[in-house]
Amino acid sequence: MSQSATANGPARPSLVGRIGRTLLNFWGIALILVLWEALVVLNDFNVIVMPRPWAVFADIWANPGLYLQNFMQTAWVAMGGLVLGMIAGTTIAVLAWSSRILNGLLTPIGLIFSSIPVVAMIPVLARMLGYGTETVLAIVAILSFFPFFVFTGSGLKLLPAGSADLFSVFGAKKHQRLFHLALPSALPNWTVALRLASANAILGAMVAEFLMGTSGLGQMLHAASQAFNTERALGASVCATIGSVTLFVLVVSLEARVRERWT
Amino acid sequence: MTDRTAAPAIDFRGVTKSFRLPDGKTLTALTDTSLSVGKGEFVALLGPSGCGKSTLLRLVAGLEAPSSGAVAVEGRAPEELVKAHRLGIAFQEHALLPWLTVRQNIELPFRIAGRPVMRERVQGLINLVGLAGFEAARPKQLSGGMRQRVAIARSLVLEPEILLLDEPFGALDAVTRRQMNVELQRIWSESRISTLLVTHAVEEALFLADRVIVLSGRPGKVVRTLEVPFARPRHPDVMRTAQFHQLVDELTETLHPTDGAGH
Amino acid sequence: MSGERTQSALLGALGVALMLGAWEVIGQNRLVGMTWPPFSSVMAFLFDPSRQALFSRALTATLGSAGLGYLIGGLAGLAFAMLGQILPVLRPGTDRATAVIHAIPSIALAPIFIVLLSREAAPTALAALNAFFVFYVAGASGFASSSQTQRDLMAALGASGTKRFFHVDLPAAFPGIVSGMKLAVPAALIGAIIGEWFGAPRGLGILIVNAMQNFQIPLLWSVVVLAATTSLVLFSAMTLLERIVHERYR
Ligand SMILES: Nc1ncnc2c1ncn2[C@@H]1O[C@H](COP(=O)(O)OP(=O)(O)OP(=O)(O)O)[C@@H](O)[C@H]1O
Ligand SMILES: [Mg+2]
Repeated sequence: MSQSATANGPARPSLVGRIGRTLLNFWGIALILVLWEALVVLNDFNVIVMPRPWAVFADIWANPGLYLQNFMQTAWVAMGGLVLGMIAGTTIAVLAWSSRILNGLLTPIGLIFSSIPVVAMIPVLARMLGYGTETVLAIVAILSFFPFFVFTGSGLKLLPAGSADLFSVFGAKKHQRLFHLALPSALPNWTVALRLASANAILGAMVAEFLMGTSGLGQMLHAASQAFNTERALGASVCATIGSVTLFVLVVSLEARVRERWT
Repeated sequence: MTDRTAAPAIDFRGVTKSFRLPDGKTLTALTDTSLSVGKGEFVALLGPSGCGKSTLLRLVAGLEAPSSGAVAVEGRAPEELVKAHRLGIAFQEHALLPWLTVRQNIELPFRIAGRPVMRERVQGLINLVGLAGFEAARPKQLSGGMRQRVAIARSLVLEPEILLLDEPFGALDAVTRRQMNVELQRIWSESRISTLLVTHAVEEALFLADRVIVLSGRPGKVVRTLEVPFARPRHPDVMRTAQFHQLVDELTETLHPTDGAGH
Repeated sequence: MSGERTQSALLGALGVALMLGAWEVIGQNRLVGMTWPPFSSVMAFLFDPSRQALFSRALTATLGSAGLGYLIGGLAGLAFAMLGQILPVLRPGTDRATAVIHAIPSIALAPIFIVLLSREAAPTALAALNAFFVFYVAGASGFASSSQTQRDLMAALGASGTKRFFHVDLPAAFPGIVSGMKLAVPAALIGAIIGEWFGAPRGLGILIVNAMQNFQIPLLWSVVVLAATTSLVLFSAMTLLERIVHERYR
């Protein structure tokens, strides 16, 4: 790379410069696709075992209603569960903040649940709550609860230097401390929880649907794998991936904006 | 000019403050300290690092309770003044809230006190500390000196009866510091609030204060009180006079007695 | 100060005890129905000698695939992070690829791994994928945490990118990597268990899903408790290691 090319790059984005930058940003993803293709070619898979990408998209194109319906189903339980878990986790974190005893009682429980594979508990919940959409919703809510509880809880204590003393000198009451100081301080951590929980929300919904075989993309994936319909299984995967990556990108940009403003 | 016969603004009577350390030992930060600040008086507190200056200030602000002795502010307990929102304070680490703009940071005391925001007063203070045009900026967009000025404006916004300043310019370079001293003296001259300033800088103390109190090394104790002879308003040129230099030498000698052995 | 610490430890122990107590009471009184067995009967089931062989075979299988995935994913994640650090031009690309991989629900990748590799390899592959992300993030932010002065010093000494990496960036990244090693434990276990649900011959995931489908409630709970406890033990061991390393390097 020549000195002048890098110097000119940011100032006047030429077509070549723009392509170059895109390549730099996405070379990792391109590499994965190339590796995949290479693996398919090297292993000499036939079309039935490993469909070419276009076959997967053709299946989606041929059955838009089926895909859309299942996608919407999974998307709304994932979002709904995420919101429920967010509300519950944040609320309990605030309650723990306001009471030293509650904080002491709950903190280790939160730690325990964030160090175990909670996804493995989905079958227990499914059996307990019964097979159905509400159960998927509850499972996503429970999966989302712990990141919000743990991260909001620690964020409420990450106050700017000296601000706690400042509020004492202001004679601030407890609710003023909460709304003017602790909650705003916790926002960056809260967005981290949002990122972690949303990466898990669609996964949790799909795993629950997959195990119970009731509805949504997970059920589609389950049925297709049972029937060795690889195109359909990969179609469901593609839909889940699109939904999950979109959500992730939105959340990451929100997180970046908060970080920008807060530090 | 200063009335020291009436009830003093700040009164320390034989105050001792010890801290219990994690290993069970106790550390005495202040021992049997008595001092007072008259109404409308500006007192500067000098002393070696760790001698208990900040502790003394925190006792006045009600952030710590004395181990023995009594602290009275306006003849009452410090907590009462805090509850009435009559205390202004600026810390060394400025303690601005990073998510609020300059204007919102200065308005914060109104909101905590539950009073309507006096917009003209806030704007007047912004102009006074020379930050007109930066009302919408966030703390991270400001220089260190500008942040200190925001903190000082915030400490003054409720027209406090007592002003406490803990090394407000400690983080600044010498040139900016001198500028800030000149500005603080101008601002103070307009309000004449009873002020206690903690500082490491002998020149700063002499230029700003009516009286300079020197504490000994830990545990802190008053070792010297000096009435500053310069008339107000003080022009920065006063720092060039022989008398000023002589007082600086004298106080430096009190602070670091061994240094003077060779004179 | 130390009194406060004992107090919070006591409160924490009380909290955990209350949780287990509630579990027992709800189970004893069937407050949630037959699907919630009391703590004591789950423990009795778990420690019943006649089932030790079953549990240990499943646990060994899951730990094997999770452990192998942890190693592969960890090394790949660190290598990828190193690449971005030694050749900074590549950094945006590595960041983006890792974020996208992370955003894909791992269950959606299982069908691909089954085709590309095999049913037996899916648990290892998903465990590796989950560990990869955690290690990449820990490594990348760790390598970047060496101070600017240290890096400037290396530049002034005329050190190459690789030299700087091994003398400054790598040691600076060590605490972060150890924290990543801890967080990757439950992540790898989740990957292995989900992978097993796609038809591995044995493992905790298989026991869980079979127990669920056949209404074997005590078995279901026991295996979940076993998986959780295993993760907790490994996680705690890593926390200890983390504490030692942090004391050394900070
Ligand atoms: N909360 C506390 N717990 C234990 N020790 C404390 C506490 N606050 C202050 N100290 C100790 O009291 C002594 C005086 O501290 P203080 O902060 O008042 O010093 P200072 O004079 O302001 O020093 P500096 O000029 O460096 O700011 C120090 O030895 C400090 O370690
Ligand atoms: Mg101090």
